[in-house]
Amino acid sequence: MEMYDDVGECWKDLADALSAGADRILLYGPPGTGKTYAALHMGVRHGYAERLVCTEDLTSAEITGSWMPVGSGRWEWLEGPAIRAWRGVTGHRLVVDEVDRASGDALSTLLLVTDSSDSARWRSPETGEWVAPAPDFSVVMTTNAEEMTYVPEALRDRFPVAIRIDRPHPAALMRLSEDLRAPALYGSVGDGRRLSLRSFYAFDQLRSTLGSERAAAILFGVRDGQSILDSLRIGHLG
Amino acid sequence: MNVYPEIASRVDNAFSPKGWRVEPGTARRGGARCNFSERILTVPLDDSAASRVVRAHELVHFRISPASHEEGRLPFDVDLRAMECAEEFRTNAVVARLGFDVSALVDGSERRSGEMLAEAGDWAEAVRFLFAVLGTGGEKPYLLGIKAHRSEWLAPLRDLAKQAKAMVARVSLGSLGDTSRDAEGQQLGYSRVTIPIARMITGAAQASAPSTADEVRRFRRSLQAGGRRAATGHFAPLVIAESSPSSATSSKVGLVRWQPRPSGRYLRYPQRLLTDPQQRGFGHKRRAQGGVVLIDQSGSMDISVEQISSLLRRAPAALILGYSHRPGDVGVTPNAWVLADRRRVVESPPHGNVGNGVDGPALEWAISQRQKGEPLIWVTDGQVTDAHDHPCDSLSVRCALLVRRERIQLVRSLDQVGECLRGRRWPLGDFGRVGRKLLEMT
Repeated sequence: MEMYDDVGECWKDLADALSAGADRILLYGPPGTGKTYAALHMGVRHGYAERLVCTEDLTSAEITGSWMPVGSGRWEWLEGPAIRAWRGVTGHRLVVDEVDRASGDALSTLLLVTDSSDSARWRSPETGEWVAPAPDFSVVMTTNAEEMTYVPEALRDRFPVAIRIDRPHPAALMRLSEDLRAPALYGSVGDGRRLSLRSFYAFDQLRSTLGSERAAAILFGVRDGQSILDSLRIGHLG
Repeated sequence: MNVYPEIASRVDNAFSPKGWRVEPGTARRGGARCNFSERILTVPLDDSAASRVVRAHELVHFRISPASHEEGRLPFDVDLRAMECAEEFRTNAVVARLGFDVSALVDGSERRSGEMLAEAGDWAEAVRFLFAVLGTGGEKPYLLGIKAHRSEWLAPLRDLAKQAKAMVARVSLGSLGDTSRDAEGQQLGYSRVTIPIARMITGAAQASAPSTADEVRRFRRSLQAGGRRAATGHFAPLVIAESSPSSATSSKVGLVRWQPRPSGRYLRYPQRLLTDPQQRGFGHKRRAQGGVVLIDQSGSMDISVEQISSLLRRAPAALILGYSHRPGDVGVTPNAWVLADRRRVVESPPHGNVGNGVDGPALEWAISQRQKGEPLIWVTDGQVTDAHDHPCDSLSVRCALLVRRERIQLVRSLDQVGECLRGRRWPLGDFGRVGRKLLEMT
């Protein structure tokens, strides 16, 4: 499968940027191409990355930490994923997903936790300790938005390396059955009717027990399912 | 309904993050298309069986067809329309082998198309259109339409259909749609299937419509592997090479010559008053002799620069055109070239292309280039052939009429041109078919 040896410019850019020590990276582009997967795994040398999924309801407390009841009328301070990543408790990577959806409250905290390691400081309300990011701390932010206008300029400025991911990563494709790899690669583009990698994973799984027609009907509906199967049949030619 | 061209991935192409646009079309002929340059797939989006197979047809184009036929570099004996029809046929064959119902590929216009082409006597388009519907639900009504007005065309068209279907039946589905490339960069399915079929279509379309049993037999033989192309009954179009003679002949050979005379205004040769018995000491300006020489370079006739230069010494202002057509060529290879143009000579005369094929158009071109009072000499063996290099009576007559009307002089070799300019003539019987026609006319 020589075609998968060509990982594509975007993935090469990401690998090169990480290996050169870039520690603030923004990945953007269409959904379902493996941006989050890459952010969680690429360049994470030990442990695992901490992950924040931004929504309008995300609060500052969910980023840095909050007092939580622990029973018997007691409350305990629990550090949030950003501070855990700063400290390297589980690993030194913080992944901030769907950053374009973050609320104003969360955005101001994100400005703090994604600042350069020289400037970023946070004081623990429990101990009064000043905490700073560890030297090998890194942040990867992801968004499906093509226009960076949705991301505040100050936050955007913290991420000088911004890479548009326009195709699935070859390693992610290799998890599919061989006959679905090329369709998944090429099917990940196409305005308004693109099929994400996750759809192909699901189809691959369901068809093994239900058969292709049933699997396609369940996942895509009867009409689109037939249309997809027709395209797959033609795509398998040669 | 959504259509997913990207999933029918063209694995021969580098991945492009730019998707295709799908636009609604119809299941009628011409209502769906695959536009590679704009990346637009126009297909019907309803649930009918016809729409589904039309979508499959366009997706197969998307999957296996070259982005353009120019990309495939047309061979010399294939015309573009034949290539398009051959590709339609290959595409429909693939669609059928993939299990789609190609009998639904019919829009009701086929019978009328057959009738119109037969009525108009357009054999060439009748052949091409056959391949656009071959193997689909449109084939039968189309042939019925042909039969209604030209029943004699039915047998040769069926022979063609049978031959093409047999060619495709010998090829596996994988090979039919093979998009890997050969050493010349052509897709294998295209070069191994589409081009041979397009070659067959072009040859058959150029041939005269067979009407008698004997003509049908000959036509059938022409379809066999290695068979000679059928007679066309017409000349190929004249294609004159673009390069023109570049090197001038010797400066001693000018357009104006001096001739010694015993009287005159300029004493140009005073020594002759003593040495010449006729005392031709005066010089008289005389325009150099010109004329048009047309050379049939078919067969093994090679011409050297020396022969042309020798001719130009006698007729410095001559225009010399060589011609020879490659049988079956549809206008890709030049079949005529200017060997000398009023004192300028080619550095290396091109070889012929085996056949005659353009005798008539070459004569007409030579006539149009002749200046008033100039001789026109045709170097020929008197054989006149059609675009497929078959001797042809009617074309011989056409050339003979031109020879007679325009007082064209015939010689058999370039070496005889000088003698011809001095007034020598050869018997018409030496000039094959054309000579015989001329004799019949007198």
